Amino acid sequence: MKTKVLMMVALVAGLAAIDSPSFAHHGNAAFDVGKPVVLKGAVVTEFIWINPHPLIKADYKDAKGNVQHWIMEMGSTVSAQLIGWTRTTIAPGDVVTLYVWPAKTGAFAGRFNKVEFADGTTMRDTQTGGDDGGRADTGSRQ
Amino acid sequence: MRRTSTVVLAGVTGVLLLSALAAAQSNAPRSPWKYYPEDARANVGPGGPAPKRDLTGTWAGESSGAGVKRLIPPERTPPFTPLGKQLFDRNKAEGSGVLIAQSNDPHVRFCDPFGFPRNMNDQIRSMTITTLPDRTFVLLKFMTIWREIWMDGRALPANVGGRGRDAHDPTYNGYSVGRWEDDYTFVAETTGMVAETWATEGGYPHSVDARVTERFHRSSKNDLSLTMTMDDPKLYTRPLSLGEVHFRWIPSQTFFDFSCVPSSVQMYLKEMADPSSAPAAAR
Repeated sequence: MKTKVLMMVALVAGLAAIDSPSFAHHGNAAFDVGKPVVLKGAVVTEFIWINPHPLIKADYKDAKGNVQHWIMEMGSTVSAQLIGWTRTTIAPGDVVTLYVWPAKTGAFAGRFNKVEFADGTTMRDTQTGGDDGGRADTGSRQ
Repeated sequence: MRRTSTVVLAGVTGVLLLSALAAAQSNAPRSPWKYYPEDARANVGPGGPAPKRDLTGTWAGESSGAGVKRLIPPERTPPFTPLGKQLFDRNKAEGSGVLIAQSNDPHVRFCDPFGFPRNMNDQIRSMTITTLPDRTFVLLKFMTIWREIWMDGRALPANVGGRGRDAHDPTYNGYSVGRWEDDYTFVAETTGMVAETWATEGGYPHSVDARVTERFHRSSKNDLSLTMTMDDPKLYTRPLSLGEVHFRWIPSQTFFDFSCVPSSVQMYLKEMADPSSAPAAAR
């Protein structure tokens, strides 16, 4: 287990050593970037491809069956494009797992981290260094 | 020792994974209309000597995915005059302790133009430089704007923002003149910028009389740097360094634009930023 953790740390360090993300347009001070909330089986209701930040809206059913209406922001369209995003990467009706750093206020809002699609593929947001080509997975910037 | 080896191995694995990713990307269909940041990153080294008196072309900045580094940030402790400090304290730049909902950054809240000199030291994504016989144009991808630098020997206007028939109105990009200092260094001087704009992302103020000196230096075919200094005696007790940014030549010469759209930013603030940073919001 320790070795696995070490390897993960080293992998991230190795990536970060190559380059580091650029400065943020909007910061993440409003979000708890300690550990992302995982919205498994969330249904995308809207993907709004706008600047300064694209917005993802999704419905998530909690353990009690209550539907939570989430909204989350990404990096800018241009930064996201640098790591392969387009306005059609996510579409309404997609059933996905969303990783989100939630707002400190407790609202169902947050900074998007990554999405896992039904086919098992993953797309990350630009905090992985979109402005620097997605080469730095340092977690909480941009 | 074993742990050290594991760490090194994992780091190397990371590099190899990236190489594989780059290789996979190179097999994907490519369009001449698209900008591929990996191409810019692969264009390592100086690429040959700099051509004389020539900055023309499209250049990648630090937020272009090309791995370009900012060389020097703006001064962290500006030498404000009392008036400069008073104006600075009015500006609530988003950052540690100031959330979007609390910021009064005119760009963040309304997509107002950065104006010069902020548009040369914030959101440095890409720029194209082109020339006419009497002018140099700097075309900035962020917010899709241009700056015009006259090289016909004229002097900067002496009366900007004053009264009288000879007065000039301030403009977002000010009034600029330029000259070649040597075969590889182009110097531009600018004054007369709209005073309501911020000089930096951090909210440093400037007056309409501020005079900004830009020094573009092309050290090789692939490398261009820009140093900026602002002299504004009303607000600063000495000339202020606005830092140094670096640009790399883009082999394909392509990029794409990035505009902040006022209606979009209002939607973003209303639906996302303000609710998520307002203190009373609850589930």
